[in-house]
Amino acid sequence: MKRALLCMVVLLVTSGAAFSQEIITLGASVQETGALANTGRYYRDGYNFAVEKINEGGGIRVAGKTYKLALKILDNQSDSNLSVRQYVQLLTQDKVNFLLGPFASDFALADSSVAEKYQVPMIQGGGASDQIFNRGYKFIFGTLPVASKYFESTIAMIGKLKPAPKSIALLYADDAFDVSVANGTRELIQKAGLKLTEDQRYSSNTSDFSTLISQVKSSNPDVILVSGHETEALNFVRQAKSLDLNPKMYAFTVGVPTADFRKALGKDSNYAFGMTPWVVSPANKDQYFGNAADFARAYTARFGYDPDYHTASAVADVEAFAKAIEAAGTLDPVKVRDAISQVSFPSLYGTIAFNATGQISLPQTVIQVQNDQVKAVYSQSGMLSYPQYPMPPWSKR
Amino acid sequence: MTLRFKFILGVAAALMLATLPWFASPTLIQFGISTLLLATLAQGWNIIGGFTGYASFGNSEFFGLGSYGTAIAMVQWQLPFGVGLIFGVLLSVIFALVVGIPVLRLRGHYFAIATLALSQVMTAIVSNLEVAGRNTGLVLPLLNGDTLFYELSLAVLLLATLTVLWISNSRFGFGLIAIRENEDAAASMGVNTTLYKVLAFALAGVFSALAGGIHAYWITFIDPVSAFDLSLNVKMIIMTVFGGPGSVLGPVIGAFVLSGISETLSTEISSLANLFFGVVIVAAVVFMPRGLADLMRRFRKTGWRYFSENVKQHRL
Amino acid sequence: MEQALVVSTMQLLSQILVNGVLLGGLYALMALGLALVWGVLNIVNLAHGALIMLGAYVGYYLFTLLNIDPFLALPLSMAVLFCVGYLLQRGILNLIARAAMFNTLLITFGIDVVLTQLAQIFFSADFRTINPSYAGSNFMVFGVTLPLVRVLAFVVALALTIALWLFLLHTRLGRAIRATAQNLGAARLYGVEPKAIYALTFGLGAALAGGAGDLYGVVSQINPYIGATLTAKSFAIAIIGGLESPLGVVVGGIFLGVVESLTALYIGPTFVDIASFGILVLVLIFRPNGLLGATT
Repeated sequence: MKRALLCMVVLLVTSGAAFSQEIITLGASVQETGALANTGRYYRDGYNFAVEKINEGGGIRVAGKTYKLALKILDNQSDSNLSVRQYVQLLTQDKVNFLLGPFASDFALADSSVAEKYQVPMIQGGGASDQIFNRGYKFIFGTLPVASKYFESTIAMIGKLKPAPKSIALLYADDAFDVSVANGTRELIQKAGLKLTEDQRYSSNTSDFSTLISQVKSSNPDVILVSGHETEALNFVRQAKSLDLNPKMYAFTVGVPTADFRKALGKDSNYAFGMTPWVVSPANKDQYFGNAADFARAYTARFGYDPDYHTASAVADVEAFAKAIEAAGTLDPVKVRDAISQVSFPSLYGTIAFNATGQISLPQTVIQVQNDQVKAVYSQSGMLSYPQYPMPPWSKR
Repeated sequence: MTLRFKFILGVAAALMLATLPWFASPTLIQFGISTLLLATLAQGWNIIGGFTGYASFGNSEFFGLGSYGTAIAMVQWQLPFGVGLIFGVLLSVIFALVVGIPVLRLRGHYFAIATLALSQVMTAIVSNLEVAGRNTGLVLPLLNGDTLFYELSLAVLLLATLTVLWISNSRFGFGLIAIRENEDAAASMGVNTTLYKVLAFALAGVFSALAGGIHAYWITFIDPVSAFDLSLNVKMIIMTVFGGPGSVLGPVIGAFVLSGISETLSTEISSLANLFFGVVIVAAVVFMPRGLADLMRRFRKTGWRYFSENVKQHRL
Repeated sequence: MEQALVVSTMQLLSQILVNGVLLGGLYALMALGLALVWGVLNIVNLAHGALIMLGAYVGYYLFTLLNIDPFLALPLSMAVLFCVGYLLQRGILNLIARAAMFNTLLITFGIDVVLTQLAQIFFSADFRTINPSYAGSNFMVFGVTLPLVRVLAFVVALALTIALWLFLLHTRLGRAIRATAQNLGAARLYGVEPKAIYALTFGLGAALAGGAGDLYGVVSQINPYIGATLTAKSFAIAIIGGLESPLGVVVGGIFLGVVESLTALYIGPTFVDIASFGILVLVLIFRPNGLLGATT
């Protein structure tokens, strides 16, 4: 509620500025309510914060004129059909200039067709599935790394652990994003010469993992990789403990970096591996926020919870528009689209540049929860700090 | 109103709706498409639920089968849209026959729950089918032609409404109403209840599948959860009940009024829209349980007492 | 080597069966209130899952704010939900008690939407767990791992079922409730006003949902949107077990728990819903009074 008010204030302030200045409006439909509201808020707040900050810094200059950014956000109630209609409405009725994305691959898949239909670029930070980018669409850009490579750095790290893990179980949800992850991971496992003992697809929103866990337990792999949603990661860890499942390590695609995960699990979140394309480090310089660490601090102070890579990705989307519009020197959607495909700039999220299909290529940093804190343990450049491995059995914690 | 006057009014309304794309904004056209499709779905539900009295939760399965039939034909087999639509309708008619015969023997809540369960089963089956893209869904080719989608939706709605008009004046329709009022009595009067019920179910299936096919092509991406969305089925029921179940135009009016409210809410108050929608449903069921059609008929005579009398009549 | 394989297969199977039975106990408790309300009031309560969700939040807040153990909080959670249920029936559902069947379906759906949305506004969409120190404890029996909390939940579920059964059979109020199921007027013979008996029954159903929610929060995670799937599960169990007796619901719950676990093991985790809801449809068609009920 408070945030809704804040949004309105931002809107009012920015529209108040309309009298003296030109405005560029970005439109987005995100999950403010419904089953995905938990992650949807990262996008709503990330977009708002970035727009605010860019305006504070004087807005953006296009062909000698100064523009302020404005934001129009609608709530798609976690309903992908509604979100498609809302994007059309944003373009045709609210006359927004450019589009920011929703959360989650299936939404991005559906919504990007609106961008393509109306030839207006959309930069989205919520969908990573390869399916979004291999349709040959020209107007969709993404700031989450390629889904099929999510576990790349994790598997690279596994090769450097002692005692070396030999066998892996792969569990994944059956939605667009996680299937892409699993397809890529299977190849990576093969290439690394590891043995895949279990390869199980489960229904999205599964809440009972007792059968899967018992099954995995009986084949006793060294490593368990889970690609699913945050709720599933939570349930998995809880039930792994109660069924006394003790692999040498387990890693999750989502959940681990969020504060929610640690809060909900308490001490049981320790030793869990996860990943993030975004590291909160002062080394990630940013034109508008200083650097990633400054940003994280300001964000927590402002919204009352810690940002994670979803937020950073959302901020990067707004910044990419700012840069591209300035570079294009016009608000023409097609020209801005071309400019987006050419951007390359450092940001709090990392270097923002898009490949030919429109997706960013950012390596994942492997993280681990150690003593209730998230710690970066492995990146492309190598081991950052040796992880707590192997994980002690539940009975010894 | 004379019959002739009604007829002229109907044609005029249809013509006016048909010309809408030439002067309305794209947002309004889009709202039009989704409302027309919802009205078609409500009209389909009206046949099985309103006339026959079977509270079906299986109409969203028809919608889903229509979507998937169209999508599979177009994406996997590269067939044209028209063929896909027909394929979707076929799937849904087959489903209505195969499932309808055993399930329509159930009455009351049991029928409702059986169809509810079937929609879960269908979701789960489709999310395991390779040809349907499993749970990741299918991406349809992009067609930039909202006017076409609008006119198609309008045509399907007209067809559905004319069918319902025919039903309401035919032997078939009287048979359905007899089943709704008292199934055993209907059977003893010589109505072939099984045949009538299955036909009504299949007819509902045809229109819902057509709506599903058009929707799939228009929205360009479907997955099991959005195609077999149970809340869509609930919407059909609400719209029909709100407008007046068992009437010819009630479901259409219900769909237009409720879509209007819900669309306005979701743009104006955004994240509170759903809460309001829930309150509207509860209030509508309490104060006007027989729908708008009944309200219009009796409000002139009773005035504001209409609402309190409804409550008095139905409360414990 | 081969013998070791047989042993481990047997062990896995018995573990899976135990998982299924334990899961079934919790399932049964979830469905118990739904079956009661359906059987007595002929209301198919689509908001049942939302009531379970509310019960879970009551347990969560009692645990995190007041440090009350979830098993001790169980009666409190049930009491709060009893009040919610009583007021819902008295204030809203009684108003349409004699309207067409669609209307009860619609109104409970509306209530479900309202409760869910209010939950998001007041509790936020954050994921919560009720996580007492012993939540993950377990013990071994014959090589099978028994999660402590699930065993406790199973016992509580059984105890509540038996309590409900005794209550319905042997108390005056219970007999009045059963009489209402047969015939609305019959309740008057027991000197109870129908309005009150309706509200009491619905309150009792909600209280059972509240208890189930409290236990659910200990084994799983809570958010405002868990209700829908729980409602669907509860339907399946109520139908499979039959609406006539609480004991049938327990059998239904355990049956479903075991079937789901075996399906996940032998066919695959994505086929679980096909199995459980497929069985529901088959039971409806062939044994509409439940697996244990009288054949018609």
